[in-house]
Amino acid sequence: MRVTKQVTKGSLSGVFNAKSIAIVGASPRPGKPGNQIVRNAKAMDFDGLIYPVNPTQSTIEGLKCYKNILDIPGRLDLVVLIVGADECVRIAQDIARRWDEKGDVAGIVVVSAGFGEGGSADGLAKEKAMLEPLQARGIRVIGPNCLGIADQHSGVNTIFDLPPYLKSEVSVVSQSGAFAASFLMWAKDLELFGLSKFLTVGNMADVDMDEVVEFFGEDKNTKVIAMYLEGIRQGRRFVEVAKKVSQTKPIVAFKSGRTDFGSGAVRSHTGAVAGNDKIYDGAFRQAGIIRTVAVAEFYYTICALGKQPLPRGKRICVLTAIGGPGTICIDALLATGVVEMASLSDHAKNHLKETLARTAVVDEPQGYVDMTASVTEELHEEVIKTILADEGVDGLIYLITPPAFFSNEKLVEHFLNAYNSFPKEKRKPLLSVFTFGSHVAELRRLFERGGIPTLEFPDVAASVMANMVWYSEWRKSRLNYGL
Amino acid sequence: MDYKKLVKDVLKTGRSHLLEPEAYYVCGEFGITCPQFNFVANVEDGIDAARSMGFPVVVKVVSPQVIHKTDAGGVVTGIQSEEQFKNAYSTMLENVRGKVPDAEIYGVLVQKSMPQGVEVAVGGLRDPQFGPVVMFGAGGTLIEVLQDVSFRLARLDRGEALRQIRETKVFKILQGVRRNKPCDIVALADLIIHAGKLLEEMPEISELDFNPVLAYPDYYSIVDARIVLSSELASVSTVNK
Repeated sequence: MRVTKQVTKGSLSGVFNAKSIAIVGASPRPGKPGNQIVRNAKAMDFDGLIYPVNPTQSTIEGLKCYKNILDIPGRLDLVVLIVGADECVRIAQDIARRWDEKGDVAGIVVVSAGFGEGGSADGLAKEKAMLEPLQARGIRVIGPNCLGIADQHSGVNTIFDLPPYLKSEVSVVSQSGAFAASFLMWAKDLELFGLSKFLTVGNMADVDMDEVVEFFGEDKNTKVIAMYLEGIRQGRRFVEVAKKVSQTKPIVAFKSGRTDFGSGAVRSHTGAVAGNDKIYDGAFRQAGIIRTVAVAEFYYTICALGKQPLPRGKRICVLTAIGGPGTICIDALLATGVVEMASLSDHAKNHLKETLARTAVVDEPQGYVDMTASVTEELHEEVIKTILADEGVDGLIYLITPPAFFSNEKLVEHFLNAYNSFPKEKRKPLLSVFTFGSHVAELRRLFERGGIPTLEFPDVAASVMANMVWYSEWRKSRLNYGL
Repeated sequence: MDYKKLVKDVLKTGRSHLLEPEAYYVCGEFGITCPQFNFVANVEDGIDAARSMGFPVVVKVVSPQVIHKTDAGGVVTGIQSEEQFKNAYSTMLENVRGKVPDAEIYGVLVQKSMPQGVEVAVGGLRDPQFGPVVMFGAGGTLIEVLQDVSFRLARLDRGEALRQIRETKVFKILQGVRRNKPCDIVALADLIIHAGKLLEEMPEISELDFNPVLAYPDYYSIVDARIVLSSELASVSTVNK
């Protein structure tokens, strides 16, 4: 096959749906990243082929090892490089040769560093030299200097830091491998969310943030997009892409790296107040991107959107059996300026009063219900049903310090009975707050498996609910303007 | 004169901002209405202008070297009579000559005094990543301290401009507090949209400021306009001159 002048870039789909993966720099020695990548790739539910490449080995982790990319028989879709930068440049030539002969290899993941990231002329030259033969053939390059990709649905995994993960519909794109991996590992034990696709962009020599967001936007296995970024190159295109995607899928962003706008003399007031960060803020709001400011808020907003529907309005009920955290939650909710407290109907208020103990507090202050410590597991069912059914409620935050005498199983059973009594299209967002954190890990896992997000902090729950309301209102506003 | 030619001509002279009357003229071409003004070269013409528009009036110095007019003593407000006008005119010019000795004074802008309104600011700039962006916020001299501002990418529709306005604290004041009538927020939204168009269509402009803009129940009034031209273009033109 000859290289034509104009080559179209391959789709990222060819990379995420690879059926064969070569790992160049695979290592037989446990503890080495080149070994861990092979282990993690093997551990996935992947029905394709994995080819370790290492000229000095015959097998690695029980897999036949190849001396060279060109020796691999059959079709090769994805190549992972974890060798020195100079070696990467050389192998890129091999990949190009292979492409010319066989027309395969959709993309490569370059884990290796030593390229443009330091800004050195030498590194940049190597990056360019590696890229050139690949881009000329439309072969996609992820990185260099990145963790790579994972797809829980196709079973592709090139990440030494990521063992197989709970499968669901949250996709993650990040400019920091460490931050993205931290998010995943933080949520893993409590099963706070399930992953779909994962990609860290590294130096973005070829594959850029906006392309990934666009791709996730069209991906049927992605319902929520989580994004960590420090800066983007084509701001305008990024906003256009995000605005389109946000109309059907929430994008939750954490943007760091706050530098001031401009270095030259700024002579207008606008120039003086226009921190780079403020412009990002405006651009994100315009694009419907949920911008979070705290790490916990970022994590939990993604988790909640991964499991819960969007609120249809902004009236939120706070249900608790514990005074203090309930009050903290209300304060935080109202401080957002985005939500209002629920306005429970007289019917619901009366029914709650009849159901609960005489000491219970119903709708004082408005939208707040304190069941008090006398509440039982069984009582939860009727109370939650009543609140969620009420016309004056668009969402519910439930907070509890689970008493030791409660049965986990009984509480979950009654809770889910109430929640699942509504058909899917009638469900409203429900967040639970277990203020004992990981001390009640088992209880939280039961809730999470039932589809109810569990948080630890009342103020974070308020921010998360406000984010869901804000995004829902943004989507409605797009409909109203016919866009 | 063609507004595009005006801007190009200014750049050719090496100047990197428009004078206030020039700025008002360019704005007018984009549907941005500015209050009635006269640009005069001497005190007699100034008095004539003030008389025909009716007191009270404001006078402002017009000089390429004076960008921060208030700081240079180049603005006098609330002039009620011809007598006051004469004094104000000469005092102002003296002040400016004292503070900015090398200022070339092209003339004086006479403007009708505007009634009190809610002070807001509308602005825009060309961001290296995002291109033309527009700003809305609480105006006045404290804008940089308060930083009650919100940004959007141009071009934007009215719904988006309204959302931008609602993100600021000054929005609450615009809605009417302490028995004040609510201001014309839609007119402000349109002003933001027009500022965005101006930036989009005039690549020579790098930053613009309308501050303060006085918001009223039935409209708004731009009390000062500053348009900064791309200094790169300006310096290139200077070299070519």
